[in-house]
Amino acid sequence: MAVYTFTLNGKQTSVEVPSDTTLLETLREALGLTGTKEGCGKGECGACTVIVNGKAANACLIMTSQLAGADIRTIEGLGSDGVLDSLQTAFVETGAVQCGYCTPGMLMSARALLLKKSSPSTEEIRESIAGNLCRCTGYAKIVEAIRKAAVSARERGV
Amino acid sequence: MKKDYTVVGKNIRKLDAIEKAMGAATFTTDIKLPGMLYGKVLRSPYPHARIVKIDTSKAEALPGVKAVATYLNTPRVKFNTSATSTFTIPPLQPVEDQYVFDSVVRYVGDEVAAVAATSKKVAEEALELIEVEYELLPTVFDPLAAMKEEAPSLHHCEAGKNVPGEKIHIEMGDIELGFAEADYVFEHTFKLPVQKQAQMETQAAVAQVSVDGKVTVWSTTQTPHPSRRILATIFGLPYSKVRVLNPPYIGGGFGVRIGLSAKAEPIALALAMLAKQPVKVVYDRKEDFIASDTRHSGYVTVKTGVKKDGTFTARKIMGILNSGAYCSWSAETPGVLGAMGLSIYYCPNQMYDGHSVYTNTTPAGAMRGFGNPQGMFAVDSQVDIIAEELGMDPMEIRRKNIMRPGLPWVLPYPCQSSGLEECMDLGAKAIVWDQRGKQNQDSDTIRRGIGMAIGTHVSNAWPFCGDYSNAYVTVQQDGSIQVASGVPDMGTGTITTLSQMAAEVMGIAFGQVGITFADTESTPFEIGSHASRTCYASGTAVVAAAQDARKQVFEYAANMLEVTPGELDIENGIIYSTLTQEKNISLGQVAMEAHLRGQQFIGVGRIIPQNAPPYLAHFAEVEVDTETGKVRVTKMVAAHDVGKAIHPLIVEGQLEGGLAMGIGYALSEEIKYDDRGRQLNNGFHKYMLPTAMDIPELEAIIVEAEDPTGPFGAKGVGETGLVATAAAIANAVYDAIGIRFFEIPLTEERVYRALKERK
Repeated sequence: MAVYTFTLNGKQTSVEVPSDTTLLETLREALGLTGTKEGCGKGECGACTVIVNGKAANACLIMTSQLAGADIRTIEGLGSDGVLDSLQTAFVETGAVQCGYCTPGMLMSARALLLKKSSPSTEEIRESIAGNLCRCTGYAKIVEAIRKAAVSARERGV
Repeated sequence: MKKDYTVVGKNIRKLDAIEKAMGAATFTTDIKLPGMLYGKVLRSPYPHARIVKIDTSKAEALPGVKAVATYLNTPRVKFNTSATSTFTIPPLQPVEDQYVFDSVVRYVGDEVAAVAATSKKVAEEALELIEVEYELLPTVFDPLAAMKEEAPSLHHCEAGKNVPGEKIHIEMGDIELGFAEADYVFEHTFKLPVQKQAQMETQAAVAQVSVDGKVTVWSTTQTPHPSRRILATIFGLPYSKVRVLNPPYIGGGFGVRIGLSAKAEPIALALAMLAKQPVKVVYDRKEDFIASDTRHSGYVTVKTGVKKDGTFTARKIMGILNSGAYCSWSAETPGVLGAMGLSIYYCPNQMYDGHSVYTNTTPAGAMRGFGNPQGMFAVDSQVDIIAEELGMDPMEIRRKNIMRPGLPWVLPYPCQSSGLEECMDLGAKAIVWDQRGKQNQDSDTIRRGIGMAIGTHVSNAWPFCGDYSNAYVTVQQDGSIQVASGVPDMGTGTITTLSQMAAEVMGIAFGQVGITFADTESTPFEIGSHASRTCYASGTAVVAAAQDARKQVFEYAANMLEVTPGELDIENGIIYSTLTQEKNISLGQVAMEAHLRGQQFIGVGRIIPQNAPPYLAHFAEVEVDTETGKVRVTKMVAAHDVGKAIHPLIVEGQLEGGLAMGIGYALSEEIKYDDRGRQLNNGFHKYMLPTAMDIPELEAIIVEAEDPTGPFGAKGVGETGLVATAAAIANAVYDAIGIRFFEIPLTEERVYRALKERK
């Protein structure tokens, strides 16, 4: 066991876990943040996508021991105080949420895209979620939701 | 019922969407109970073997291990993991062919033992300490081979060698006469692959046994009530002492857990009973792939007699499906394949013969479409072959032969509605059908093509197995209402749709409806989410319950207002006389008045659903790279007659999801086996699901030919999205390159080889 300290959803967080613990295990088991889902445990489905230092990453492939000082954002940190952020709102209003199991990972991949590019093309949107599998929606409404969120953010000038 | 709906037909915000978008929704995999242990399963490395010896002592001695379960210390009660075992209608008998653990293993991945330990890691370590001695038994992997005399028998079967349940025979008219009347007879055989549901949440269950023996199981099941019955039977408990519920969300289903979630529930419960602590069992993705039901692979033969003008005179379909090692839904699936394959076209002389066959492969069970995509790939590929031979347009031969309301078919319920022709016309327009055959120059290496296919499906499971629903609608003292339905919502929008229907009937705002669902303890018996039935059948029960409550309210209110109940109506929660405007009172006032005098309005809906045919026409536009064999779908149009879209956005979502799954079925998804019975495609890097990069423009067109038997006219929509997708794509590929494929998926390899052979 060792103690690791990083920024999690804007707050400095310390956690004591064995050194071979993945970030996904740390989030779900040690910290009780179950919004981040496990779909395969091998980095093949994207359900566990979080944002680490501004980039989308599979939490099941990262060891917690690698994260000292990192800035980590999970689905729980996407909105604020129970208020949905623009992407979450777009997902809800567009019908992009079905079973909801891929949704947190999808949202985090989409947020990572919009962090670096405020006006992505449809092709860039598709690429950004190419590592996030969804079996319910056929991706159509997810792509549409991300596009809508990007447009609304642009219109608000953020 | 009035036509001007205030809630039905509106895209209301889905009840589950916000929780899910915030990561706050609870799934089985999220559950953590005090003292909870983690269960892991030891699985057979062999496709067929007898366990000669099993020694668990070293595993039991490992610190942290609390229980080890094998066939020696778990119930010797046979069951079927699928819900069919709970509503097979006599004289048919359910096929119950497996135990929680057995001394014989019948496929690679079959359960040998399970461990409960204080952590997943300890449980995994303990599995390696279990010593098993196997005696290998002869194997068979192909259903045609498994029917032969010399093949090993997997189970005792009455209907034929390795045939689970019954052989299905369906007949109408005089098939021989029909072929005799034909100018031409066509016969083709098609081969279908193993597809996997690949729902995002793997099979999972958490079992808890209270000190007085009451059992609670949270799980990923699509059918809590039937699953409760299976568990109660295995463990010899009164149904009333077993509670099965979703927590409340399920990460997809697509048929893979109609009944038990593979064996997650009985294994978790067996371990919880042995350890006397709660146990959580979550399949990893590989287990989910190899030890959890798949779609049936197999062979479908279609023989059609046709007049020179394109009129069908006879059609015979034969289906041989691979059941895998256990029956699951293998007795019913061949029936749906045949019945749907025959019923899309009117043909006076029809016959179907089909059944499943046991082999030493992963069990096949229910998957979205339930035999219908297999049958329709064959039927509608052949219709295009016939059209070309007769020099007819594929649209026209279909228009001439499609089923129409009032015509006879093999199904025991009448066809009372069809928007199929409208679907065909709207779809053809959207894909620009007139462009077909005119898009390529001789020198093009990327060749474009357009194809179509049509289909129908069911709106619940009857007559293939039993089907009924119950629901409660309870008026609260403030005039809001509580709906109780045992049906889950696995992402299909069911709780939103049912709440919309209840609000519409009760004449109140959507926000005034609360719903309890997917819990055997707080809801009356309800089959659950399968067979495209929740909107149609569960919806009919909720409507009936709401009508019952509404009637009670009106009787009470009529007394208060000194009018007759028959003249009352309700809008926006205000009950009013349609005769005198000034006579009105709010639902809340009536409910509170009744409450103060000792009465609550409790509506009960108890229904046995009819059935109704949804219809669909799919159009695919493809590009085939003749240098690599790569097929790319560039556009899919899906026009669907859904009866009535209660929530159009949910309906579109169902169609789009089905289309994507159908594109995968057509082009890339397949589980293959090596010669030792091992699944070669057992994870997402080896099993090619469509990604966001693979999905073309999807255009879902909703047609509403309301059915008199459906709630507000609605029909089933959950499965229709992939019924005809593969056939439409294969027909488009033919249009592009002139090669007819009798086997899917149309992988680059398969298409490239066919192109090379032609040269």
